Order: sequence, then C-alpha cells, then structure tokens
Amino acid sequence: MKDILTIIMRLTLSCMLAATVMGVAYLTTIKAKKHNEHVNEQKVRYALLGYSDQKPIPGSMALHSIYRYVVSDAGNQTIGYLLPGKEGFIFVTLDLEGKIVDTKVVKVEESSLAEREERDKIVRGIAGGKDVVFADQTIVVTDNGQRVAYLLDGKFTGFKTFIGVMLALDPQFSLLGLEILEHEEDPGLGAEIEQDFFKNQFKGKTFDTLKGMDVVKEPLPDKYFQALEGNIAEADAAAILKQYLEHDIYALTGATISSRSVNNGVKGIVKKFAYRLNILDAVLAEQKIAVAF
Amino acid sequence: MANDKTSMQLISRGILSENPIFKLALSMCPAVGISTTVMNGFMLGIAVLFVQVFSSVTISLFKNKIHPRIRIPSYTLTIATWVTVIDLALAAYMPEAYAKMGIFVKLIVAFAIITMRLEMFACKESVKDSFWDGLGMGLGFLVGMMVIGLVRELLGSGTILGYDILGFKPLLFFILPSAGFFVVGLMMAFFNWIEIAYKRAKGLK
Repeated sequence: MKDILTIIMRLTLSCMLAATVMGVAYLTTIKAKKHNEHVNEQKVRYALLGYSDQKPIPGSMALHSIYRYVVSDAGNQTIGYLLPGKEGFIFVTLDLEGKIVDTKVVKVEESSLAEREERDKIVRGIAGGKDVVFADQTIVVTDNGQRVAYLLDGKFTGFKTFIGVMLALDPQFSLLGLEILEHEEDPGLGAEIEQDFFKNQFKGKTFDTLKGMDVVKEPLPDKYFQALEGNIAEADAAAILKQYLEHDIYALTGATISSRSVNNGVKGIVKKFAYRLNILDAVLAEQKIAVAF
Repeated sequence: MANDKTSMQLISRGILSENPIFKLALSMCPAVGISTTVMNGFMLGIAVLFVQVFSSVTISLFKNKIHPRIRIPSYTLTIATWVTVIDLALAAYMPEAYAKMGIFVKLIVAFAIITMRLEMFACKESVKDSFWDGLGMGLGFLVGMMVIGLVRELLGSGTILGYDILGFKPLLFFILPSAGFFVVGLMMAFFNWIEIAYKRAKGLK
C-alpha cells in the first residue's frame, strides 16, 4: 500500500517526460508536414485540371481563391466573400436574399491569406467585432482572363465519418473530375470510393445530368470498367465513356451507402455552388465591382 | 546479472541464433501482414529498428527508477513515445512511404518483440549492451521482413523492388496474408536446417 504513492509519482513523471519528448517531436515536424499537405493539395488541384509535373500548367493560367464566411451579428446572418480584386482584396457582404450589404477594399498580401488562422484574424478585423465563421474556399481558374474551371473543396458525411473531396467544374458546372482527399470508410468496401473505376464515373457529367443523378445497384459493365481504369486505348475509351455519360452512378458492391453519400454529396456541393455563384456574379455585375476572375 | 557477450555477439545473436521472426516467432502479425514486398518489409523493419534501439536504451538508462510493479506500463509508455516520434517523423519527411504503411507504424506499440527485449534484457543490463542488443534484434527483424518480402514479392508478383524479374505472376496466393505463414514456416525450417548443418560440420553434436 505504501508503494502506491511512489508508483503514482513515477508514472506521472514518466508520462510528463514522454509528453515532452512527443511535444518536441511534434513541434519539429509540424512545419514539414504542413508543407507536404500544401504540396499534395496543389498536386491534386493540377491533376484535376489535367496537368502534372510532366505537363506543367501554362503561364497564362491563374488561380484565384474566393473565401466564403458566414458573418453573424445578434442573430442576423450575412454572407461575406473575400474576393481577389484587380488590386488587393475586396470583402463583399450579402444578406440571405442575395442583396448587397456593403463592400470593403482590403489591403492584404495574398500570401497572408494562405494560412487559415491568419486569414480568419484578418476577416474578423474587417467584420469589425462581428462573429465570423469560415465556410469554404473556391478557386476560380482563369486562362487569359477567361474563366476555364472552378475547384471546390467539400466535405460530407459518408458511411462512417466524413468524406473530404475536391471537385473540378467547367464554367457550365459540368464535372471535370473528382478526387477523394480523406475518408475513413471500411477497407475493401467503402474505401473503394478512392478507386478510379468509381470516381471517374463522375467525370464529364453535365450539370443537368448531375441534378437528377442517382446510384444504381447493378454490376458495372466490364467494358466501362476497363475504360474507367484507363486499361484500353484512349480513343476507344472515350467512345465507351461517352456512351455512359448520362447514366447513373454504379454503386460499389457492398458499399451502397458510401456510394450514395458520395453521389449526394457531390450533387449537393455542385448545386449549392452554382446557386451561390450566380447570385455573387449578379451582384458583382450590378455593383460594377472589378474582380480578378 | 552481467552480460558476458561482446557487442558483435549480441548483434549476431539477434540476426541468427535468436532471430525474432524465425527463431522466437514473435511479432508474426506484421511479418505476415505487411511483408508483401521487399520495400514494405524494409520500411517497417527500419521503423522497428529505431523503436527497439531507442526503447532499449531508454529503459536501460532508467532501469533503477522503474518500480517493478509497474514495469510493463513503463515499457509500453516508452515504446509508445518512440513510436509516436517515428510516426511524426515519417509523416513529415517521407509522406509517400507513410501513406502506405502508416497504420502499421502505430501498431509497433504492440509488437511483442520490443516489450520482450525490454523485459528480458534492457531492464537488467548496461546501456551499452542494451544498445547492441536492441540493434541486433532490430536488424534481425529487418532482415527477416526483407527475406519474407523478397520471397513473397518474387513468387507473388514476379518482381523484386518493383523491377520486373520474371515477367509474369507465378502465384497470386503469395500476396495474400495467409501465404505469409507459409513463407515464415519455410524460412524457419531453412534457418533450423542451416543451424543443424553448421553444428554438425563443427562436430558439436
């Protein structure tokens, strides 16, 4: 019984020692880890647009980030967009009906917006004491000033936890590509959403097809599977993929719920984005606000 | 209880006469689960080597301060700390390898071989000997994993280190986890055979 104090003392001490070692390791690696994540994100973005290390993105293209914030003030909610203007940034606030509340020109460096914490602080400063919550980030890709694509980040519930995706859309909101960034679905079942034969089914779906798209519990035709996996010549594959362009998504065997979540999640993200962007564009045109995209 | 073996003997003991996988048959789960290719085996082997050496040295340093009643929790705490450090370092500096074997690295905490070495050796011996013992056992594990990986990769996918050797895939079975047991079994028989042959040649028995 008299040992118990020594045991507690020693265990506490060793735990604290272990925590110190782990803390030091964490602090020394966090920077490299963040850098990796950033590089990885950038790679996924370029890959969705069809570029890679071998085929670098042309110089005429530019990526502009739009950050959306929910600004609430005493039960009154407005939506704030942090937009890249011709010079500096513009913070546009819209009410829930899509009417403009106010615009502010913000003088910040683009690099200071890359980190979320720093950006949140800046936006809080602009909003002047109101409560701001970061909602999402959209990237508008332009080529010689013309919009060529949108890159959207999104998160929705899967079968177990959240599924994080990145989508590429063309200006008509057709899907250019889908990439699964993170998920915790079951290996061998729901985790198959990462596979090319599943996520490539979304490629090329037009906005109209997407609106009514569902999943079907039918076996994936072999020809379509080979085309999705890129196992056959490009010209043949394109013909096969075209044939299935308006078809619903084939659910994964044994993972209908995961398949359905991805389908509904992607649908939701694209539909909401199209709605929001139309409102934002209308306001920008009406108020003659010059933006970079 | 002082140790009467030299550093070289301690290392060779870990690799040959007391090889963790082929002789002690410990930590079979990762040996079977991850050793589908030479590279996978090598990566996990390296991670285990580091954890084993660091843990052995740490426990040996603090051996007089560890209360005998709570020695197992202390070992687990030590191992978990080093595993976390290795895990963070791998995630930061080798993200591609980490994506493949991330979950196995966290499992190192529960590897029987490490706890067993701490209990049998590091908590009694000097820091220097513990270091050599940990190095030997870690190398033994590394060699074992790589040998199993070599056999499975060659017979399962016809390649070695990703280079196509055979040009075809002889037996898909060897990629599957159950084949790991077959390979380990065959290797054990092979190691025993070598040992017996060696002893006979020396006229020991």
